[in-house]
Amino acid sequence: MKAIDAKTIDLKSANGAIKSSLNGQPVTVENAGHLHGLAAGLKHGEIVIQGSAGDYVGVLNDGATITVTKDAGNYVADNMTKGTVIIQGSTGYGAGQYCYGGTVVVHGNAGDFTATMNKGATVIVCGNVGKEVGTYMLKGDLIVAGDAGENFANYLIRGSVFIRGKWASLGNNTRQEPLTVDDKARLQAYFDKFDISADPATFKKIVAASEKPFYN
Amino acid sequence: MAVIGAFCVSVNKEICVNARMPGKCATCAEVCPHGVYALDPFTGEMNVQNFNVCVGCRICAEFCPANAIRINPAESEYISRYPWTLSAVEEIHYKAQTGEYLLRGFGTHGPTPNFDMITVVPSQISSAAPLDKYREGCDMEVVIGEGTCEKPVVLKAPFVWAAMSFGALSKEAKMALAIGAAMSGIATNTGEGGLVPEEANLARGFIDRERTNKKWEPGGYLIIQWSTGRWGVSVDYLNSGDAVEVKIGQGAKPGMGGHLLGAKVTEDVSRVRGVPVGSDALSPCRYYDVQSLDDMKHMVAFLRDVTNYQFPIFFKLGPSRPYADVAACIEAGADAISIDGLVGGTGCSPDLVTQGVGIPTIACLPPAVQALKDYGVHHKVKLIALGGIRNGLDAFKALAMGADAAGFGSAAEVAMGCRVCYACQKGNCPYGITSQKPEMRARLDPLVAGERLANFIHACTEEVKILTMLSGHNRTMDLSTEDLRAMDLNTAALTGLKLCGYERPLPMWEQVLGPASGNGNGHK
Repeated sequence: MKAIDAKTIDLKSANGAIKSSLNGQPVTVENAGHLHGLAAGLKHGEIVIQGSAGDYVGVLNDGATITVTKDAGNYVADNMTKGTVIIQGSTGYGAGQYCYGGTVVVHGNAGDFTATMNKGATVIVCGNVGKEVGTYMLKGDLIVAGDAGENFANYLIRGSVFIRGKWASLGNNTRQEPLTVDDKARLQAYFDKFDISADPATFKKIVAASEKPFYN
Repeated sequence: MAVIGAFCVSVNKEICVNARMPGKCATCAEVCPHGVYALDPFTGEMNVQNFNVCVGCRICAEFCPANAIRINPAESEYISRYPWTLSAVEEIHYKAQTGEYLLRGFGTHGPTPNFDMITVVPSQISSAAPLDKYREGCDMEVVIGEGTCEKPVVLKAPFVWAAMSFGALSKEAKMALAIGAAMSGIATNTGEGGLVPEEANLARGFIDRERTNKKWEPGGYLIIQWSTGRWGVSVDYLNSGDAVEVKIGQGAKPGMGGHLLGAKVTEDVSRVRGVPVGSDALSPCRYYDVQSLDDMKHMVAFLRDVTNYQFPIFFKLGPSRPYADVAACIEAGADAISIDGLVGGTGCSPDLVTQGVGIPTIACLPPAVQALKDYGVHHKVKLIALGGIRNGLDAFKALAMGADAAGFGSAAEVAMGCRVCYACQKGNCPYGITSQKPEMRARLDPLVAGERLANFIHACTEEVKILTMLSGHNRTMDLSTEDLRAMDLNTAALTGLKLCGYERPLPMWEQVLGPASGNGNGHK
């Protein structure tokens, strides 16, 4: 395993070192909390960030598996297209925004506007989430094992939102729907894969009331 | 709606095919985007059903096989009825009936402060002598990103195509813009709607995806737009062009995101954007992943990183607070900043925003230039003027006011054949420019339209060259406000240009510009 100490290096050097170290072995990065945009745009590889990460970790990820062993800042896995980003602690604002694919797993809590404009990713938060989470989601799955703040899933267009806890308020263009057998199986598969202790049967499902909520 | 009742429609029944042979021709009704004409389904007769909605685009006259239609401006109601013009009255009725505000395409219409009240000052005896356009050279090249990236963009002429998305425009129009850019050595722009597969190769002048067959010299550039909706964006998308543009806003609707109505969200558009077919695609008005200027700096840093530090970073601003906004872009790390003035166009916007929100282009430029000067980066960080630029004369004036290049959006559409019917949002463009319907798109040949665009750029380049050289310069970089004069007080007040006759800026500008420099006869 290749180890990179990022304590005194800048983003260009850190990401350059990660890219040049991806030769089939996992890469470990330490002391990277001051870097924003770490492990950006990677197409493959396994990167473990020991400790906390800054903002935009895993931005534009296109196939790598990135694990942060503690907390991460804002905008985790922003605009990801493929791959997996796992945060073993909590994240700030806007994890999993604008993603076309891949999986984001936050084992702690996540902030406001998580999974906003999700276009096909699976975003899983084991703790609570803030307000406006899942806003203008166009595709994919959002799974929240804790509670949600105001305007949950606001202007949902397509995709599925699952939540175990309570929400402060549901957003526009949403309706509840019973869980199907397929839904439960899908949730269980995610929970097994990412070692999450939860019973799919205890989740509620929210879908879009209309695919065309604007103007018409 | 604002131009309602402004035109008289006359059909010469003696030569009209339908009048002579009812049912034999319905061309005018088929092409009119506003329903001026109606075909009687029983008699086959054509009637001018609703002449009040004519906007004067004259598409019907162009398509009429008998040349039987004439469209003439009506007497201006701004003289006889203002403020209760027919358009104002009809707009109220529309809102009262529907509960909806008006949406439309294209840009601001009606009088707004513009380049027309600025005149070019030629060289004579007291300043540097004029240069000979026919026998001497003129350097018009613009280099963007020199010293900040590995592959700077080198425009052969000081022009770009303004960002217009796939979705707002047809695939054929996007291809034509790319071909026009390749033939002219300028840059085209994806806009926010993702990438048309052919766009990247065509912009570089290649006709094949493998890039083995270069058809057009010198080849152009493709600017990849990164916007608030992030439609079709991936790391591969970002690396498919020659520059990345961070869109903050646009002239037609600053403070709002994109509007692509469901009528134009076809399967192709849906595939790129990820919104359901037939559903409105509304981009957010802001970046959900930016909450501060520091975030924007980090965004620029990772955009440079994922593009391997090869490409320049552009910003595109709507017309808001030009000094502060340009300063923020500089701090965020921009290599070029486009500022899109009030008259800038769009595929769709609320009418009131297009008409009533934003700062005119000529008033955006002085504070934008001042910000660049205050940061010591004027002409290093390039300034691109957008919004209502129609020709080489407008472009020259923008360059002399301190811009490094000018962008054509609406003018590019017109160069492709558009006649300005203000109905881009409906998706029925009879020229196939802003339509996604196969039968409309088939009318636009990308090669023909691309050549028209290149011709337009060639003509504008020559116009800028004429004006640059008659002003005594052999580089557009050397143009300055001394090469211009305002012809009325309003324009002098908005721009800080010297007023004709008065030969100095208005006193209100002295604090900004310093004491009046020289006597107005020579260059600084």
